[in-house]
Amino acid sequence: MVNFTIDQIRAIMDKKANIRNMSVIAHVDHGKSTLTDSLVSKAGIIASSRAGETRFTDTRKDEQERCITIKSTAISLFYELHDNDTAFIKQGINGNGFLINLIDSPGHVDFSSEVTAALRVTDGALVVVDCVSGVCVQTETVLRQAIAERIKPVLMMNKMDRALLELQLEPERLYQTFQRIIESVNVIISTYGEDDGGPMGLIFIDPVIGTVGFGSGLHGWAFTLKQFAEKFIAKYAAKGDLTLTPEERCKKVEAMMKKLWGERFFDPETNKFTKTCSGSKNTVLSRTFVHLILDPIYKMFDAIMNFKKEEAAAMLEKLDIKLDTEDKDKEGKPLLKAVMRRWLPAGEALLQMIAIHLPSPVTAQKYRCELLYEGPGDDEAAMGIKNCDSAAPLMMYISKMVPTTDKGRFYAFGRVFSGTVSTGLKVRIMGPNYTPGKKEDLYTKQIQRTILMMGRYTEPIEDVPCGNIVGLVGVDQYLIKTGTITTFEAAHNMRVMKFSVSPVVRVAVEVKNPADLPKLVEGLKRLAKSDPMVQCIIEESGEHIVAGAGELHLEICLKDLEEDHACVPLKKSDPVVSYRETVSEESSIMCLSKSPNKHNRLFMKARPFPDGLAEDIEKGDVTPRQELKARARYLVDKYEWDAGEARKIWCFGPDGTGPNLLVDVTKGVQYLNEIKDSVVAGFQWASKEGVLCEENMRACRYDVHDVSLHTDAIHRGGGQIIPTARRVLYACQLTAEPRLMEPVYLVEIQCPEAVVGGIYGVLNRRRGHVFEECQVMGTPMFIVKAFLPVNESFGFTADLRSNTGGQAFPQCVFDHWQILPGDPKDATTKPFQVVADIRKRKGIKEGIPLLDNYLDKM
Amino acid sequence: MKVVALISGGKDSCYNMMQCVASGHEIVALANLRPASTDELDSYMYQTVGHQAIDLYSEAMDLPLYRHTIQGSSLAIGRDYSQTEGDEVEDLFQLLHLVKEKEAVEAVSVGAILSDYQRVRVENVCLRLGLTPLAYLWRRDQDSLLSDMISTGLHAILIKVAAFGLDPDKHLGKPLADMQPYLRQLSEKYGVHICGEGGEYETFTLDCPLFKKKIVIDAMETVIHSADAFAPVGYLRFTQMHVENKHAVSSPLLRDKTKQTHTARITTCCAHNSVVQCQSMCKRSFCI
Repeated sequence: MVNFTIDQIRAIMDKKANIRNMSVIAHVDHGKSTLTDSLVSKAGIIASSRAGETRFTDTRKDEQERCITIKSTAISLFYELHDNDTAFIKQGINGNGFLINLIDSPGHVDFSSEVTAALRVTDGALVVVDCVSGVCVQTETVLRQAIAERIKPVLMMNKMDRALLELQLEPERLYQTFQRIIESVNVIISTYGEDDGGPMGLIFIDPVIGTVGFGSGLHGWAFTLKQFAEKFIAKYAAKGDLTLTPEERCKKVEAMMKKLWGERFFDPETNKFTKTCSGSKNTVLSRTFVHLILDPIYKMFDAIMNFKKEEAAAMLEKLDIKLDTEDKDKEGKPLLKAVMRRWLPAGEALLQMIAIHLPSPVTAQKYRCELLYEGPGDDEAAMGIKNCDSAAPLMMYISKMVPTTDKGRFYAFGRVFSGTVSTGLKVRIMGPNYTPGKKEDLYTKQIQRTILMMGRYTEPIEDVPCGNIVGLVGVDQYLIKTGTITTFEAAHNMRVMKFSVSPVVRVAVEVKNPADLPKLVEGLKRLAKSDPMVQCIIEESGEHIVAGAGELHLEICLKDLEEDHACVPLKKSDPVVSYRETVSEESSIMCLSKSPNKHNRLFMKARPFPDGLAEDIEKGDVTPRQELKARARYLVDKYEWDAGEARKIWCFGPDGTGPNLLVDVTKGVQYLNEIKDSVVAGFQWASKEGVLCEENMRACRYDVHDVSLHTDAIHRGGGQIIPTARRVLYACQLTAEPRLMEPVYLVEIQCPEAVVGGIYGVLNRRRGHVFEECQVMGTPMFIVKAFLPVNESFGFTADLRSNTGGQAFPQCVFDHWQILPGDPKDATTKPFQVVADIRKRKGIKEGIPLLDNYLDKM
Repeated sequence: MKVVALISGGKDSCYNMMQCVASGHEIVALANLRPASTDELDSYMYQTVGHQAIDLYSEAMDLPLYRHTIQGSSLAIGRDYSQTEGDEVEDLFQLLHLVKEKEAVEAVSVGAILSDYQRVRVENVCLRLGLTPLAYLWRRDQDSLLSDMISTGLHAILIKVAAFGLDPDKHLGKPLADMQPYLRQLSEKYGVHICGEGGEYETFTLDCPLFKKKIVIDAMETVIHSADAFAPVGYLRFTQMHVENKHAVSSPLLRDKTKQTHTARITTCCAHNSVVQCQSMCKRSFCI
């Protein structure tokens, strides 16, 4: 590590073309944090000997104990690229020194929101895949998110040591495994990416261009084809006694890399590369990748692990690897580690890959701007972002809050996209509800301090120009979780992040000692700030609810709440899940409700969505902001909606964006547009709190069939229409066979074949069903995929472990909503029980209200 | 001009009378339409709740009162009106026709503020009778109008609520002055009309500067008209009332104090009233 003063770091920050903002993303336990360590040891602060053991970015005590990353952590690295290597960079650069802002993110699905927050402030992603388990659920989830945010990925094939030592894979089979993983990653990229790569260009990963690394984070070694290509070039160059300019050398290396992957073979007899696997003497040739790259590594492993000392010594000599005196005495694994680290240092290979292939803010913000900024694409703020101009007005996005050592205060963590942020600067702080021109959710304040965040440490810094990641002090009071900070008067918000998971699991908390209640309320506020996803809600009944993405997420949140935020003993209820209310038939009658003054009547009906529409709305294929005709065409083509009706969608709900629709199917009704706003308000309300148990509605379509209104506008104001709309919507819901929907997890379980039977037993007991079972190619491991209702998932992990001797590892990701079979109005069914429980918990009147409350007679 | 005042018992008709007097007109008679059998007709035209106490107006103002029973119903509910047999507007015609013959009035005092529906119909009747409608409140800003009413010493209580945000249990019987801030809030939030022009609420005037005696309600009951889930409609039915001489001049301080205790009493009464419950135990008079 080059030791920098803050002034030196500040100087590097100005060279925007040499900044790389990147996140490390992967499935849980694929070795992100360990790999990050080897980068930190190369360019960071911890000693090289302890890489692979320390988990530098796991700053919390519980993270270290559990060996799982919970919060994403940022760290800045400095890497100096060799003159020869700068020629590989296809974008503008400014000197050799690179500032790499790296964010290590959690891999467990429950903490996906942290990944989302990390992705927002970075331009590139190092995707880590365990080459033994391959591409898993969470790999796909995070990769999908990265692509949606226009983040360029590079791949790291991790845990090669396991493939060699534990699985003892043949070199050719290992190559096949790599090839398969690369293919599956590219499939994900092409599925979720834009056509032809969009403005980012092609982002497929390919070993030939050097966007795939191979190695072992734990042992601290890694390589890309570039490393080997260079070694060969150097070898030949020595023979030919050539002195190459960096450009010529670069061309040669790139040409060489092409020969090292795929259907390229090496004939040792002739020392020639061929494209067929039959050699000159009818021998079967091995692949270049196998022959020139894997074979030496295999031999090294074999020599050291089987204590063939002479052989090993000979190889070390040949490869020109010099060991320290203390390393020379080692044997077996420790020696192997020491040797491999000398031979193929992970930091070097990966940092090169990052510096060469990931985009700088200058490159990335050009194409990311339209996704990041809500305002017009040509105002000052947008231009500042596009050009990454540090003289433009400040535009900064706060993606999360990081707790400080000072209890109850937070650093606002985010990225400067345009302009320069400095201590004492007067800025506009805009929360997610801010709309330009209004005063809501807007504060104008001075920034108390700007700081650099480096893993466990922070350093104050005078100012930070665009393209960098920074922490702010004194902003936390004005923002709940995220927001935009700007100096531009007419600035719009930066777009809010879209999370891939939703808080479906909730618990109620209360204080053991009633006098501590204020502390709990304060603690909940802090908890809500410290986590991008968690929701803290106060029910009408006075209950305090904490909602999270999964059991683990909640467990961590509650622990934080009890120990760090509220600091009082708490009582927690058993976790419960949130449900959705829906309808399963068209309303049996035309529902009518009269306004309180009896002079206005609304006639409506409800009906369920066709399958898939609710998902389309959630995915954003059908949105309220969409162009009207395009949306109508989509609904007509895909769901066979009536073309006229498809154009008369009044709104989405709840919150104006949810998966329920209000549609106007009236024919020539007078004054209808004047009451539209009031009906929409009633609809937003009703769809947020359904009639069954005040849960959100989902996949319901409400048709306004007819209205009869008082001729005088004054008698049909909001006070009359809003409650009437809500009543008629409830009547519609009640007459349309209402149903409950429960959230369902997709569970992916990895286990040896012997315990698959045990898994079935556990799943069956919990209403789960398996839909896919397959063996991981080249391993004895099985992957079982099943759907499991979230409600049945509490204690599932523990149950599964105990039934399989701890050999099965489940990963649960929220997948879809599913109707809970049974009529909630029938006292013998499960939905009835669920509704009764929810109503009781929320403190609302027992039993589903009767239709009479909402339906009026002509 | 000699004026007949159409009164519903509510604040608007009463305040309009005050405006008439202030402009130099002379009120010679009062006119009111009362429902035949029920308390609340849900009429498009008339306020009918509180009709039991209208008779006291004549005594309080010392003027003749003409009453007519509503026989028609809301038939022609379009924007414009033309003479329609059997419509409730025809009842108004008959009533004013009678008053014109007996008292030789030239103008009618009408308390409409914003309702075109009412204006069109009253104008229709007046035109046919050759009377001049006097509507001083027409199109006035509701917020300032309500403030003016309250500050001129018009004392009215809410007797009917029918809008989102107004709760029979909480708000019936409350003096208008106490409700003003809340009404403002509702208006901002849900677009409720501050003066209740959209039928959000109706009032009954107990006292105003024109009254020679004041009206005192001795007993009343809360009736829930329709148990709407979100905007329940309820009104007060007066069962016993009388007029009382106004005390010479009571100090404003004392006035405030009594007003407060009086409000408190009504609210407590209303709090334990569910659907229909007699409040006749509240025998003590409400005085201002």
